[in-house]
Amino acid sequence: MKFVIPAVFVAALVAAPFLPTYYQGLAIYACILAIFATSANISLGQLGLISFGHAAFFGLGAYAAGLLNFYTGMNYWLAVPLAILPGVALGALVGLASLRLSGAYFAIATLVTSEILRLVALNWVSFTRGPMGVVVHRPREKWLEALTGRDFGDLYLMLCILVLALVLFVVSRVNRSLIGRAWVALRDQPKLAESVGIWPLRYKVIAIAMSGGIAALAGGLFVPRVLVLSPDLFSGTLSATALLAAILGGRGAVMGPVLGGIVFAVAPELLRVVDEYRLAIFALLLLVVVRVRPDGLISLFPRRKTVHVRPPSALVEITPRQLPATLSIEHLSRHFGGLKAVEDVSFEVRRGEILGLIGPNGAGKTTCLSLISAFLSPNSGVVRLGQLTLSTLSSHQAAQQGVVRTFQHTTVCMDLSVYENVLIGTHLLLPETTAAAVLRLPAYQQRECKRQALAWAAICFVGLEERANELAGSLAYGEQRMLSIAVALATRPGFLLLDEPAAGLNHTEALVLARLLTGLREKGFTIAIVDHNLRMMMKLCDRIVVLHHGRMLAEGDPVTVRNTPAVIEAYLGTSDEPEKQGATDA
Amino acid sequence: MELLLQQIANGLSLGMAYALVALGLTLVFGVLHVVNFAHGEFYMLGALVTVLVVKSLGLPYIVALLIAIVLVSAVAWVMDIVAVSPVARKPGGDQIVLVSTYAAGLIIVETVLAAIGPTPIAVSGFSGIVHFGSVVLTMHRVFMFAAGIVMICGLYMLFTRTNFGRSLRAVAQSDYAAKVVGIDVERIKTLTFVLAGGIAGLAGGLIAPIITFNATMGLHAGIHAFVVVVIGSMGSIPGAVVCGLSLGMIESVLSIFLGQHVAATLIYSLLLVTLFVRPQGLFQGALR
Repeated sequence: MKFVIPAVFVAALVAAPFLPTYYQGLAIYACILAIFATSANISLGQLGLISFGHAAFFGLGAYAAGLLNFYTGMNYWLAVPLAILPGVALGALVGLASLRLSGAYFAIATLVTSEILRLVALNWVSFTRGPMGVVVHRPREKWLEALTGRDFGDLYLMLCILVLALVLFVVSRVNRSLIGRAWVALRDQPKLAESVGIWPLRYKVIAIAMSGGIAALAGGLFVPRVLVLSPDLFSGTLSATALLAAILGGRGAVMGPVLGGIVFAVAPELLRVVDEYRLAIFALLLLVVVRVRPDGLISLFPRRKTVHVRPPSALVEITPRQLPATLSIEHLSRHFGGLKAVEDVSFEVRRGEILGLIGPNGAGKTTCLSLISAFLSPNSGVVRLGQLTLSTLSSHQAAQQGVVRTFQHTTVCMDLSVYENVLIGTHLLLPETTAAAVLRLPAYQQRECKRQALAWAAICFVGLEERANELAGSLAYGEQRMLSIAVALATRPGFLLLDEPAAGLNHTEALVLARLLTGLREKGFTIAIVDHNLRMMMKLCDRIVVLHHGRMLAEGDPVTVRNTPAVIEAYLGTSDEPEKQGATDA
Repeated sequence: MELLLQQIANGLSLGMAYALVALGLTLVFGVLHVVNFAHGEFYMLGALVTVLVVKSLGLPYIVALLIAIVLVSAVAWVMDIVAVSPVARKPGGDQIVLVSTYAAGLIIVETVLAAIGPTPIAVSGFSGIVHFGSVVLTMHRVFMFAAGIVMICGLYMLFTRTNFGRSLRAVAQSDYAAKVVGIDVERIKTLTFVLAGGIAGLAGGLIAPIITFNATMGLHAGIHAFVVVVIGSMGSIPGAVVCGLSLGMIESVLSIFLGQHVAATLIYSLLLVTLFVRPQGLFQGALR
């Protein structure tokens, strides 16, 4: 199965020169649409951002290559790779914007961007010749034609096939690297992504810059087919084509957009009879696909099974990062409107201990955890890690500093396997560049091996090694809770903040969890834990902080806290004779 | 100065069309929590029906206008059944609705293009002119503005004085809470979608005598409506009305100095800047 797709490409390359001219033209168009749809699919499939203006990149690439050739006389085929640059630049800008815009807003912004570029191309007559367009001469390479004995059409088609293969190669390698994992995490569980240290800005910019560059490349390749630069290269119809081809083919798979591109190139020829209604019929087809087969046409083909992971040969121990001795929370306050969720709270988390945060519902425990992990910024007060002020950082930076949290509601990527989920957690272990992910040199392989070993160690530690290949969504609830701890452990946290890890666990599972956390403490991990299971907390924690209505009520070892009258009052209400055992079973 | 006043007066009637289209878009977003990318096509269809009824059936303009409202509402109803309500209920539905309504819009435009062709068709509305001091307006523009005001006041009454309006506002605040108190949420959503379609159809029918019908007018109206709705905050009705009228006036005034395309580019850039600087718009606060 692994060799089917490369074999198809080689076959296509060999067959290309023997096709009649008409079919060559069609195949060229199919390749270009496939490249274009692949580009649209990076933002659509990997980031979940719908772009209605992908023609902006396509047209930019076409105009850049064409105008370079027209004004400077540069060889067209040299101009095409250069034309990728403006696409990348615009993509990076859109990527920056995508941080603030999602869903419909992103779609509108891209639509308007392509419309602006179309109007500029239409009206900057002295440069682009406006609606008349710029005529580009067919960029023949006579020496190559003489050398190979093939005509322009043969060579053009072969080039398009090669470029498509190259694009798919690059995209699929990036998808399966740390970068691709970061994209999926940002799409499915943005909060989880940030909690393990994924910097949204960086990965969104990489994605859309890459998408823009590939679309510009498709645009540059398209010009020798039409031989004229016109503002229509920015048209909404073209944007629609890319988006619809990606959805029609299937956004989940690398080959989906390719299939969609081919269908879009070939079907109009088959639908000649209904000429004017072609696009309407396409739209109808799309509507049907969206309703009936949301995964696109590619889902009709058998899927390649996910590769089963085996335990890596070199096993590693999972260890915490060495960090300053204390995480100190000083006079922290956070208000939501009139609600004082956390008010003047100060305590310390000391290295090597398990600190419990308890309090009745609405006491501000989770808010406190979010403040410490920089998911929220305080209205006043600071969180310090040694010399460093954490509260001015963003959440992914806090994770980079080794302060990692989990979430009250199970937050894992349900469509990924257990192993893939934990691999996301290893994001911070070693830095990686896009180029390294594409080239996969031995050094990269080694780094990936280290990440895999760490992920495996985290999975083994929580006892999920039997289920490593199963989808997170298919796990039992208790196992999903364990998985989210494994993901956090894979970041090698110096300070691990657990938000109600025992919520919904039965008695046996809670015991397992307690054992696990004690094991972590023995390995040198520092843990701050919020939970309502007081029986477990009293046994487990070295120290306990009690919050009530956002304020600190008590702090100390479990026995002291349990006997503090104010704590008993908070849990059980006022009473003339405080019962000393009351707090344990609340 | 006179030219300026004249253009502002002209802009008010154009802005009323923008406001009406944007009103529907913002209503759908506020109540259904989805964005209808085909909304501009309702406006185009409204103009088309008006033009066709007047030209081919020879009926008076005002009758054509009423037929347009009814027919476009019917199209909106069909679109809701096909492309909105079944899709929006799925997980991640708001994203899929973007695509499904976009596809539905394409079907409408391409069908109209294929059947009618790209040539503009003119129709005449009310004849006669009205003087306001030095400003001269055609009777039709005055009628259009008045019709818009009546529509907006009518909607206001509908939202505040009727059971349907109260239910609609409840759904806008929370689907769940509305369901709990026994409101048929799906029905309210469908009716809202149909209402929005009807308003856009009216706007299209009103504008047809002023800008002449062509099949691609929906796309531009759609983008303009997005500009209005985004700047006026998604889901805010006052925002849609105020920004719609302002956009019409700004566009008219700009047309004194700038070409149509340059003005459009400026307006689109304004949208981009707003999106980037203040994505929640200027009139924050949902439909209440």
